Amino acid sequence: MQGPGRSGKRDWAKLVLGVYFVLFLAFIYAPLLLMGVLSLQGEFGSITFPFKGPLSLDWWRTLFDESRPGSNARAIREAAAQSVWLSVAAGAITALLAFSLSMAFRRRFRLDGAAFYLIMLALMTPGYLLALGTQLFWSYAGVETSLWKTALGTNVIWGIPFGFLVMLAVWNRYDETVEEAARDLGADRRRTFQEVTLPLVWTGIFGSFLFGFTLTWNDYDRTLLLISGVETQTLPLQIAGLTFTAAIRPDLYALGSATTLGSILVILVILVLVTLRLRVRGAGKVERVEEELGEVESFDIESLGGTAAR
Amino acid sequence: MADESIEEHEEGAAIAAPSSLRAQAAGDGLDLVGLTKEFPGGTVAVEDVNLHVDHGEYVVLLGPSGCGKTTTLRMIGGHEYPSSGQITLDGQSLVELEPHERPTTTVFQHFALFPHRSVRENVEFGLKMHGVGKEERRRQATDALEMVGLETLGERKPSALSGGQQQRVALARVLVTKPKALLLDEPLGDLDRLLQLRMRVELRNLQRQLGLMFIHVTHNQEEALSMADRIVVMNDARVQQIADPLTIATKPETELVARFMGDNNVFKGQVSAREGDRISVSTAAGATVTTVAPGAPHAVGDPALVSVRAAATRLEDGPSGVTNSVDCEIVFVEFLGDLVKLHLTSGEERLLVKVPGDAYDTLRGREGEQIRVAWKEEDVQLLRS
Amino acid sequence: MSSSSAPESRSARAVDEGDVRRGGLVGKLITLGWATPGFAWLGLYLVAPLVFIVLVSFWTYEQGVRSGFTTDWTIQNYVDLFNDSTYWNNMLSSFLTSVIAVVACLVFGFPVAYFLALKVQSLKYQIALFILALAPFWTSFLTRSIAWTYPLMGREGALNQVLTKLGIVDEPVQALGFSTLSVRLAMVQLYILFMITPLFFVLAQVDRSALEAARDLGANSWKTFREVVIPQAMPGVVIGSIFIFVLTMGEYGTVRVIGGNTVSSVGTIVQSKVEIGIQYPQGAASAVLLVAALVAGVFVITRFSNLREDI
Repeated sequence: MQGPGRSGKRDWAKLVLGVYFVLFLAFIYAPLLLMGVLSLQGEFGSITFPFKGPLSLDWWRTLFDESRPGSNARAIREAAAQSVWLSVAAGAITALLAFSLSMAFRRRFRLDGAAFYLIMLALMTPGYLLALGTQLFWSYAGVETSLWKTALGTNVIWGIPFGFLVMLAVWNRYDETVEEAARDLGADRRRTFQEVTLPLVWTGIFGSFLFGFTLTWNDYDRTLLLISGVETQTLPLQIAGLTFTAAIRPDLYALGSATTLGSILVILVILVLVTLRLRVRGAGKVERVEEELGEVESFDIESLGGTAAR
Repeated sequence: MADESIEEHEEGAAIAAPSSLRAQAAGDGLDLVGLTKEFPGGTVAVEDVNLHVDHGEYVVLLGPSGCGKTTTLRMIGGHEYPSSGQITLDGQSLVELEPHERPTTTVFQHFALFPHRSVRENVEFGLKMHGVGKEERRRQATDALEMVGLETLGERKPSALSGGQQQRVALARVLVTKPKALLLDEPLGDLDRLLQLRMRVELRNLQRQLGLMFIHVTHNQEEALSMADRIVVMNDARVQQIADPLTIATKPETELVARFMGDNNVFKGQVSAREGDRISVSTAAGATVTTVAPGAPHAVGDPALVSVRAAATRLEDGPSGVTNSVDCEIVFVEFLGDLVKLHLTSGEERLLVKVPGDAYDTLRGREGEQIRVAWKEEDVQLLRS
Repeated sequence: MSSSSAPESRSARAVDEGDVRRGGLVGKLITLGWATPGFAWLGLYLVAPLVFIVLVSFWTYEQGVRSGFTTDWTIQNYVDLFNDSTYWNNMLSSFLTSVIAVVACLVFGFPVAYFLALKVQSLKYQIALFILALAPFWTSFLTRSIAWTYPLMGREGALNQVLTKLGIVDEPVQALGFSTLSVRLAMVQLYILFMITPLFFVLAQVDRSALEAARDLGANSWKTFREVVIPQAMPGVVIGSIFIFVLTMGEYGTVRVIGGNTVSSVGTIVQSKVEIGIQYPQGAASAVLLVAALVAGVFVITRFSNLREDI
């Protein structure tokens, strides 16, 4: 990774690009930061600048405390719960389907080229459009759309291609000969899968779950059309509803900031877990210069012979 | 009582029993009959391989890339399914058995250790699959690790080990399941050169002491010569020659064997005369080569291929035109320590002569000179092509 | 790492050899078993709705009938659309937005990917910085869209505040808020990740020592960039472009939030046809045309590279 650079000479390109990167980060984080700032306004805070102090956590409190005037806390809480259930379900189903589809592709089959494009079609079909089609289809068939019948289904469609691509990447790096070795040592098909295959690819499965979860958590276009009127809305729908009815107050900003912080927290937790796991993998490589010189211990057949004699 | 028997075992192991006796004691050995593998799409990877291997024998399948040696090994191990032919071990047909049902185990080229398991768990794996209890597993695994000298590294993960150590784990892992035959797919390929040389000795000794049938695949000619009881040379899906190393080295039967083993001078030519079993071949370079080949079907005018080992040639002065000699030009004098390899050309043919290393002084710097190379008739092999 | 089997056997062996034993039937059943759940789901929730939309686009709108249309075949819906100039204007504007988004994401995103992949030295930092740039994308599009509007781009938003305070403009720029410009800027901010990620992965595979070699051979930095880096980056560019083009063309929610009711995307067009007049057939027709436009667009983009093998 460290190429022989032009020693002594400054890498101007790196400097310029570095500055650009910082500006880029500012561009990306700006809306979120501003939103966070505005959420800390005082009682008379409005939806935009200038900042009306004093600095306070009042608006954050209205998120949780129903008793405060004008609080949407209950609706928000229920919507959040609904979102969580839906997202967990979508994530789990996405992971399962992405995994099973990738297992099928490992084995190659006729028309697998066309099948691949079908999965990519799931990626390319606009959410709103698919939701419209689903709504038409189900209502024509006489079945009512609902969160669990249709919203879930369509959200999973959105997650599958992402999960599938993650699994493809995982399989790409996977060494199939370990499966042969396992079979060779006495493991039948099922045990090979259980003892060798699954443990080695579970990170991909978890990644698929994450994708499914996150995409559904943030989804608006699909869930909008596919939920029935009487059911509790999901969080994005709730937020959008508040936005369109011009009921934007700093508490919405507090909500936005809260969800952002939550997302970032989740990412950090995952990062920490991954780093820990890498470290736990055992001490570093054992240097064996002696081996290169051909100096090694002879095999001590006695030890093995001793076992046989017992 | 138990100690005595171990001692006896050790002493006895140093003297290898004749393979035929051992074969009778243990069973029939391995038989490959008419083994063929054709892949979908038409590629024939293995065609009509016939081989018998006794228990306790060390057999090496040798050949260039793509010759079918690995596919043959995989069919024995159950990782490929033959298109036709039989595989029998001690009278039991293996063909319909899955890999985990077979009494063979394989050491893979890149070891295929389970990266998510510790070294000890790797070694215990086979025992676990066969239902051995936890305590017993641990004990046997510890013994196996002691054998390969890795008892202190049991809790490490494979990624923390060097190549040589990984190989040892792979060996411990397969031996602990006490297979009837061990299949090795280029086992030394991933090791550093000097370690390779050392491991040849270790591996061969291990095999002798265990008295186990080893079938070893390699493309390295030296490795085959140094380790095998018998070598099966393959090319282009077919068996070229099966013989002990000495015979393979001194009496190659086909052009591929002669060329692949290296250090053979192969001449193309035409039969110019035939007196009984003595055949004279006149080569493209204008030399005449004679050989005594009983039973050879060649008649005058037929094309013929002959080969002479580089180590059986010598440099000569004296008149040209004598049979079993040829005039050449020195292209390169290659000094290799104990040995000097002389690279020569004669017309379009290239020759190799091997002389002892102390001759280097007299040969150094003589590139471009003409010199005559000669050999004895009894060192000439007539080849099937 | 692969075993040392002959080259041609690798792909042929993709089907587990053990299955060949029983005449290949078990193998096929196993593959079928793995494939069925996923494809069944795709069939019900993807294929069926899409097929149905195509069907509806050829059916007739009728008020009061169940579902709002009858199954009389007609091409009137398409005819009406073709004659609807507002529709085409909106389509064009939408298309333009997407193209601008792709180009802008490419132009602004490439330096970021280049920096991360080729200028940052240790893998640890590469990943850390990548995640840092990535984190906001994990939050809801909606949240970020909302944050984009009032706090940043609105009439009293931060940007306008800064501009007026610095005296660059006399009055707050109205157009920054709910406008096509705002939507286009927002698209870049929302989707640029989809360009940076594939570019990063592709550029990370560029052999840095190959770049050094090029420079040794006399190529200056710009030439090296053009001859060595750009060709290798193309697959990433193609993938990113496809993602962004497709996703922005299909945009609905964000456009509604940022553009208010003034800005259209194809998504909002479809929605307007459906919600206002419950004209499903016409809505379906415009949806079909959208998909056609998408397919055409993707096809054009893939001309720039052989995509399947890169995946």
